[in-house]
Amino acid sequence: MILLEPHNHIIQTTLAEKASQPSALDVQFVDFDGVRFRLTTPDRKVPTALVLSMSIRCWDELVRYGVNDILKREYGAALRAEPEFGYNVTLDINLEQIPPEGDERDTYIKSLALLKRNALAAPFELGFQTQKQLEAAASGQGELMALHYRDEEVIYVQASSDRVTVIFSTVFREETDRVFGKVFLQEFVDARRLPTIQSAPQVLYTTREPPLEIRHLQGLNDSEDVGYVTFVLFPRHFANADVANSTITHIQLFRDYLHYHIKCSKAYMHSRMRYRVSEFQKVLNRAKTEAAVVDRKTVS
Amino acid sequence: MVRVSGLHGSNVLRPYLAAVRSTLTAALTLEDFSSQVVERHNKPEVEVGASKEVLLNPLIISRNENERVLIEPSINSIRLSIKIKQADEIERILCHKFTRFMMQRAENFVVLRRKPVKVGIQPSLGVLRFIDPRVAQGYDISFLITNNHTDTMLKHKIVDFIIQFMEEVDKEISEMKLSLNARARVVAESYLTAFNV
Repeated sequence: MILLEPHNHIIQTTLAEKASQPSALDVQFVDFDGVRFRLTTPDRKVPTALVLSMSIRCWDELVRYGVNDILKREYGAALRAEPEFGYNVTLDINLEQIPPEGDERDTYIKSLALLKRNALAAPFELGFQTQKQLEAAASGQGELMALHYRDEEVIYVQASSDRVTVIFSTVFREETDRVFGKVFLQEFVDARRLPTIQSAPQVLYTTREPPLEIRHLQGLNDSEDVGYVTFVLFPRHFANADVANSTITHIQLFRDYLHYHIKCSKAYMHSRMRYRVSEFQKVLNRAKTEAAVVDRKTVS
Repeated sequence: MVRVSGLHGSNVLRPYLAAVRSTLTAALTLEDFSSQVVERHNKPEVEVGASKEVLLNPLIISRNENERVLIEPSINSIRLSIKIKQADEIERILCHKFTRFMMQRAENFVVLRRKPVKVGIQPSLGVLRFIDPRVAQGYDISFLITNNHTDTMLKHKIVDFIIQFMEEVDKEISEMKLSLNARARVVAESYLTAFNV
């Protein structure tokens, strides 16, 4: 599994299960980027009425960028006006009213599992709209939207007349992560030379030095561990609704994708080293004479 | 100091390893030696470094500036320190992780030392020594072989192990670096192809 899945696996499987066999439940779970979910049946005698709540760190910023409109568009009447206590958004799901078994039901459940993705889409959709307006006006720069979706990491989105720039600031907590990250990001920059990926967005990265667009901001983290990755999205990446949606889904998960693969490589290195060390152990054991073999210690 | 140079690239590996092998075999003539300093104690003299007369001349075999082997012999033990080639940041990290991995398992490895040697023993005073500043850097991993080891294990097999280790470590680090680059390429390509219009 190279690419991360945008939908929440737990929501997907739980709803699919409960749709055919409703029962009481109260599950609290999490997703990437510190997002918390809660799926409950508030009235235990009515197991078909489910409530799904989500809490996101950057909710206030999302509201500013129009998340309420997007959620109303996606979930319509299911969206509750007042969210549950401790959460930012709540959906009411009535299992008796969902579409019957088959493709329609799957699509419906999928759209519920994409709750986080839909919420985080707000600044991107706004950016795309702004770009279209600026294109008509043929000049100018949109607002620089900042999304503090993690503790020390921010996504910046800015629209211009001919492109939308998305900047990720990411923190590598260990030096190994930083070095691995550099190798990975260098490949992102270089990948464009392949003919099949000619139309992909342009990627640039810097360590420690913030890119021009955000240099004027206060409160930027300045240390060796900070890296900035810039994606330049051209109009062809959001030309029609389908492409725009898939671009947004994809680009949201970039930071998690990068760190996931860095951790995977570290784990792979570890298993290689462990294997190599046991090989060396075998060679050394050949040196031992018969008498010494008797009191061999167990190798962990 | 023995400099194995004059040849370029991988041709130097064979004579380098041959030099290390023959030096090591010669130095591994160890015999039991009770401590002269403390009664009824028996310690590896190269580690203690107290009695100068039982310490023999240290020898450095270097393939180039970045790859060296330091052999410090004494009457009942020898210490062998290796500086592994680390061309760039990635190799430095991989080498550091790998040697740390091994050194944490030093008990299982019997002849391995838990900490690498930073500065070798200086031979007897009275002789004016020119300390080459390039040589003053530390080493990545060290082995300590005592007379107990040579009594219980076959000497030529110990030497085999060390030589094989030196070959394998370089190979392993470059393989890990290659696999990291390959993985990075696949990761970048999969991500960017998903953007394909």
